[in-house]
Amino acid sequence: MTQPSYTAVTVESVVAIDSENPIAALALAHACGADMDWVVQLVEIGIIGLPPSVAPPHDWRFDSADLQCALEARRLERDFGVGLEAAALILDLQHEVRRLKAALQVQRHSK
Amino acid sequence: MEFKDYYKALEIERTASEDEVRKAYRRLARKYHPDVSKEADAQARMRDINEANDVLRDKDKRAAYDALAERVARGGATGAPSDGGFHPPPGWDEGFEFHRAPGQGPADHADFSEFFSSVFGKAEQRASARRNQRARGEDHHAAIEISVEDAINGVQREITLRALEMDAQGQPTFVNRTLSVKIPAGVHPGQFIRLTGHGMPGHGGEPAGDLYLEVRIALHSLYRVEGRDLYLTLPITPTEAALGAQVQVPTPGGGVVEVTVPSNARGGLKLRVRDRGLPGKPPGHLYLLLEIALPPADTDAARKAYEQLAQAVPFNPRRFFGVGGTP
Repeated sequence: MTQPSYTAVTVESVVAIDSENPIAALALAHACGADMDWVVQLVEIGIIGLPPSVAPPHDWRFDSADLQCALEARRLERDFGVGLEAAALILDLQHEVRRLKAALQVQRHSK
Repeated sequence: MEFKDYYKALEIERTASEDEVRKAYRRLARKYHPDVSKEADAQARMRDINEANDVLRDKDKRAAYDALAERVARGGATGAPSDGGFHPPPGWDEGFEFHRAPGQGPADHADFSEFFSSVFGKAEQRASARRNQRARGEDHHAAIEISVEDAINGVQREITLRALEMDAQGQPTFVNRTLSVKIPAGVHPGQFIRLTGHGMPGHGGEPAGDLYLEVRIALHSLYRVEGRDLYLTLPITPTEAALGAQVQVPTPGGGVVEVTVPSNARGGLKLRVRDRGLPGKPPGHLYLLLEIALPPADTDAARKAYEQLAQAVPFNPRRFFGVGGTP
């Protein structure tokens, strides 16, 4: 085994994804190893949000929370073989559990 | 770093069928999913289970893993010492790099071990190259943990990503990429930072993929982070709680704010310091959770003061029980 070789690169293009710096639908699909049709399904089912708009899918933009939901939906599809409607319900329940746990933690800390 | 026994992680035999792998994963995922599990080590177990599943459910990865495991068992694997453990070469534990191939996409790839990334990193790249003669490079996913202070102020960080490649002589060698990245001010947990063009190289002239860093905030001695909001437990004296007070509170940005504790405040009361959480549009808030701290009755003077208070202010906090007051 040879020793590691190193190359250092300063990254100039760094973007924190949020509502002001969203990613395009195609980029979201690529990040999830999916295609645009899959992203359209996520929007239609409501797994990821989209402001009311008549824009075509290629003009859609998403923030970090959408990307996280899409990645989790992809994992549920792959690892559990669930359909996207079921994934949507699972994600809703998961988020509610996390919200309640966070609220409980706040209460515990305040006692 | 130890050699990871993925079969043991999924509690299955090495001869397990694909169906048995799938069933074992689903059973254990239900048992150890951090959102529902009561097990103390649920998060670590879930990470191991996810990683094992990612390898064993894929025929190519499983075959490569089996071959590696066999070599390690014989003590013949590269880097394997005589004690049978899987020891990496010097400098191994400096970084991580993960790949998301088409059709895959666990959100928690960023949690996978260095063992996983070293063995399967480049293998995924080669498989992708075979599948796509002309295609944009795959995106990478990794996680980065920063402090609350760095989330507020921004920070320059170096990230070393590593993958295993074969050199000209056909020997395995690690190729590291050290990226110097400026984490912007105002990031929050769960947010993704996109480094355009720093994923896998494209094929057939297509552009490289992107690198996505998921932001995680390290535990802080004072503050807890919920989204963009910060929570701080604020201890106050019984006198401050009863009479109200102005108290000074540190903010993670380095400043101090003076807040008003209202009179007759109870423990658990939540005060909001507007816009003093993590910055953003809109910024988060700093929440103060009041905790009434009793002065210890460990001197004659203190005990006398408590007795005088009891006499001056008769008070039965158990009056709703209907069973009488203090004898």
